[in-house]
Amino acid sequence: MRAAVIALLLCGCATFHWQPLPATAQAHRAKTADGWELAMVRYPATVPSTGRPVLLVHGIAANARNMDLDEHHSLARWLASQGREAWTLSLRGTGDSDEADGKDRKSGYSFDAFWQLDLPAAVDFVRAMTGAESVDYVGHSMGGMVLYAYLSQGGQGIHAGATLGSPTKLDWGTNSEAMIEKGFGFVPDGWALWTAVGAHAVVGLQGLQAEGPFERLFYVTGNTTVESWKRLIAYGTADISGGVASQFVKLVVTANFVSADGEKDFRRDLAHVTTPVMVVAARLDRLALTPAVYDGYRALGGPKEWLLISRANGALAEYGHMDLVVGERASTEVWTPVLQFFNRHAAKDHP
Amino acid sequence: MIGLLLCAAIVSGLPDDDLAVSRRKVIADDGVALALYRYSPLATGRPPVLLIADFGFGRSAFDWHGAGLARWLARHGRTVYVAEVRGQGKASVAGWTPAEVLQYDLPAIAAAIPEPTFEVVAHGWAGTLALAASVKEWKGRVGKVVSLSTPAEFMVPSRLALAVLKNGGKIASLGGDPEGAHIFELLFAMNGLFSRDQLSSLRSEMVTDFGPRASRALLQWMTSGDLTLGTGESLKARLKAYDRPTIQFLGLANGWANPELCGVLREVSAAKVKLRVFSRFDYLSEDYSHLSLLQGENAPREIFAHALKFLNEDAP
Repeated sequence: MRAAVIALLLCGCATFHWQPLPATAQAHRAKTADGWELAMVRYPATVPSTGRPVLLVHGIAANARNMDLDEHHSLARWLASQGREAWTLSLRGTGDSDEADGKDRKSGYSFDAFWQLDLPAAVDFVRAMTGAESVDYVGHSMGGMVLYAYLSQGGQGIHAGATLGSPTKLDWGTNSEAMIEKGFGFVPDGWALWTAVGAHAVVGLQGLQAEGPFERLFYVTGNTTVESWKRLIAYGTADISGGVASQFVKLVVTANFVSADGEKDFRRDLAHVTTPVMVVAARLDRLALTPAVYDGYRALGGPKEWLLISRANGALAEYGHMDLVVGERASTEVWTPVLQFFNRHAAKDHP
Repeated sequence: MIGLLLCAAIVSGLPDDDLAVSRRKVIADDGVALALYRYSPLATGRPPVLLIADFGFGRSAFDWHGAGLARWLARHGRTVYVAEVRGQGKASVAGWTPAEVLQYDLPAIAAAIPEPTFEVVAHGWAGTLALAASVKEWKGRVGKVVSLSTPAEFMVPSRLALAVLKNGGKIASLGGDPEGAHIFELLFAMNGLFSRDQLSSLRSEMVTDFGPRASRALLQWMTSGDLTLGTGESLKARLKAYDRPTIQFLGLANGWANPELCGVLREVSAAKVKLRVFSRFDYLSEDYSHLSLLQGENAPREIFAHALKFLNEDAP
């Protein structure tokens, strides 16, 4: 009884922060080659079109609302306001996308499902719905790693991409890596790490302690507000599949960014990528450290650009991992340079 | 003979009963006078440690009114040498270039160290030259290396750094007004744990301006992505052969020798590099900047102790 009451309180606390999508949001479902339905939300451009549609993909333990938190913190709606039709995607098992059902949709899927099955389905769907030959792409954290894996293995349909805080190596001798190794390592095959439940459980505790562990790891106080952060963990989080978790553990332990079977070396193969990519890092990102993000930049074939968000480069505040997508000034300090990068490459043909 | 040892003088009466500190004047082959300080503990069974501070800093980066790595290591039983190459502290000259530091100063400094081998603590961009020296000028003399944010890939760290270098590298003058102090903090001391007075005195007394010639040379190094050495070699090519056992400490808040430029050392060299990136998520008191790696309030416990542990470990 006590547990039920606590659970209800936690759910209530998380629900309190809920922000519905606006009327302009159009819900769609794309189907993958292995039969999963993925939730996508379309935001038509609200001003005359200025270029290709942009596909937005979230990070680990997250869903599409990371890129579309609320009226004032939404990369998707901001792009639409700049003349770019924007599409958010919830990868399998997250947000409103299909979850594993233990029958046709097996649990325990790995990171490989994201780049091999989900991303091609989403790209094809956007192309079919819009008539565009290709799309631009923004991936936050693991969403950028999905792009790296996809492009490194010859994925098509992306004209230009941007990764925000996306590491390709996780062996820098830090506690966040130890946390991934220990925290993710115990998840049995076929299970999931209940990160969303955990996030909901602590919504009410956020902001009570100055510079608490969440602030230290995920965002910079004063750049992202506590209210935005509460919303993010209230409805922007998701559980992590055991297969995805074990692939990240391998990334920490072996320092190799490879497929689950070890056959495909994404990092090595990034050298063959010719799609333009802007690699964005945040100075105080304590999860995807700047050296970890820069490693991906070095590995890319090119054309490529490196953008370090920091006060020394003109930002008004330092950025942490989540500030890149929900920070108070992200639209001017992060998203604007990304859009400018897309626009610079809009008219160019790349081999 | 690369350098000529001119004189040795006891210079310090600072309060360490068991610690004798002496300064030697060392003349490089091109005639520039350098300084080499020696901190001698009573007993030591390990090789001495040579400390090289970044350009613009000097001995005081390692020994600021008794605080810093020099005395800390000496108190833990290590003989310590602190070099002041051209542009630093007592060795200041009107104009210098990084290539000259590697060609003239580092060989002269090593020649003035009597012990056959030594270990190195290398800091910042000047520290990168020390790593390079271990391949050739110091070949066979260097044991382990502690790298404190030594870049191994070269680019201008930030727009702010670019502006400072284009303006003649007047980093010592930055404390003159609030805006300058802010720039200094972003480049060298971001979010560092210093008392306000301490940072202010560090800024005004510890740091030396680069001067126009050095600024141009540093800028050329950073913008071109490589440094042409006096021998005509490329620094990047030299670093490929770097093979010393190394531990590398990177401060996440370092705005002068950015961690992303330093962390690639293990990718571009032949060395076995152990890495530690410091941040506040690692139960540490701060994210560590260029200056706080050396003079941060908690550096002895959070940085120096790890360095000594590495130096004291027996080689595999």
